[in-house]
Amino acid sequence: MTRFSIFLIALCGLALPAKAQDGSATVFAAASLRGVLEDLAEVAPMPLTLAFGGSGTMARQVATGAPADVVILASADWMLWLVGQGTPMADAPRDVARNRLVVIAADGSAPLKQAGDLTARLAGGRLAMGQRDAVPAGSYARQWLIDAHLWDALRGQLAETDNVQAALALVARGDAPFGVVYASDALAEPAVSVVWAIPADAHDPITYPAGALSEAGAAVVDYLTSAPAQAVFARHGFAPVIQ
Amino acid sequence: MNLDAAAWEALILSLWVATWAMVLALPLALWVAWVLARKDFWGKGLLSALVHLPLVLPPVVTGYLLLLAFGRSAPLGRLLDNLGLGLAFHWSGAVLAAIIMGFPLMVRAMRLAIEAVDPKLEEAAATLGAPRWSVFIRVTLPLILPGILAGAVMGFAKAMGEFGATITFVANIPGQTQTLPSAIWTALQIPGGEGQALSMAALACVVALGAVLISEALARRVAARIAGLR
Repeated sequence: MTRFSIFLIALCGLALPAKAQDGSATVFAAASLRGVLEDLAEVAPMPLTLAFGGSGTMARQVATGAPADVVILASADWMLWLVGQGTPMADAPRDVARNRLVVIAADGSAPLKQAGDLTARLAGGRLAMGQRDAVPAGSYARQWLIDAHLWDALRGQLAETDNVQAALALVARGDAPFGVVYASDALAEPAVSVVWAIPADAHDPITYPAGALSEAGAAVVDYLTSAPAQAVFARHGFAPVIQ
Repeated sequence: MNLDAAAWEALILSLWVATWAMVLALPLALWVAWVLARKDFWGKGLLSALVHLPLVLPPVVTGYLLLLAFGRSAPLGRLLDNLGLGLAFHWSGAVLAAIIMGFPLMVRAMRLAIEAVDPKLEEAAATLGAPRWSVFIRVTLPLILPGILAGAVMGFAKAMGEFGATITFVANIPGQTQTLPSAIWTALQIPGGEGQALSMAALACVVALGAVLISEALARRVAARIAGLR
């Protein structure tokens, strides 16, 4: 009986949320930041616990009280939504990185001479991209396809995935000949190469706003916008937010 | 209810996929259930385990294995694609995913029904001179009809709700492969999409309840008919 009570008490201890000590912080972040944040966690002055997911999933979890100190989303719209939900923030959200969209194909493919060549080069294959409504990278990709007058020709030939990394994997494996992903994703995958850099003015700016939900979180956001952290972002293919 | 055109499109695609999956899987599931219930052979345990595998595997794994087998990077996928029968990113692929995910549930319901049939009834019919197919059609089939119906409804319901394997194998393309669960998930990924998601969730509940009620009513009629024959 005593042993059982001790067991129960130990269980209760496990159930209590680990409260941040020594400035350590839990970061909920968009899946496309995985590589760079894992690198940053090794050099950051404070211990970071990282959780990744789609921007929408992360925003909804934070709005319902997930134990996060920082939330970093891949879409300004979702951050606006989160603020609109009345989520208490220690600071106004700040952008920590920017990104670009690129068209990718199997490693070694010839670059496109112009965006319009995509239709012919697809040759009946599919263009992998994030889902047009659900995945921020997919929404940006649709904006570009409409801007380039390719949407009507290609909308029947898409393979829309539930996250942008899945689109990258389809091209890396050869299940789709071309894909639209972030420049940072393309850099991290040796099996693909960039065949077209999508002009930044063909879609809404791609920014990663970070919201600090606690004092510990505010320190993390300060660190992420510091020069050393921005250099790590740049190494991973992101465009820095400070010059 | 504020359902937009995409939601109705997703519902119709889901009903279409689930109906095809149910119709195509039914004969094969009945045969496998029959073999598992009545036959003894080497590898029976293995067949049973294989049939039940999708029940315990994460759906994403099933979808990923399907993509590896039927994607354009695989020889089989390339062959089908060249014949114009590509399954990946096509609604027919959603049917295949639904069949595989629903198969264990269908086989289970039918196998239980077959095992509940007293073999002496079949033997009696055989000694009276009925050929084997006639015994099956006139004795066994009417007795296991409730089990077949239950299995079919389980397969249909599973196909209506399948998400993980479907989105991994055929993606989430509005009007092409966006099923009702994919559309609900999509709405939840859009800021302010929760109203649309809840409306579609209500729609899914109505369809699921309807399917179960219809099957219960059918099962009652079958049971009444069998009782009347006795």
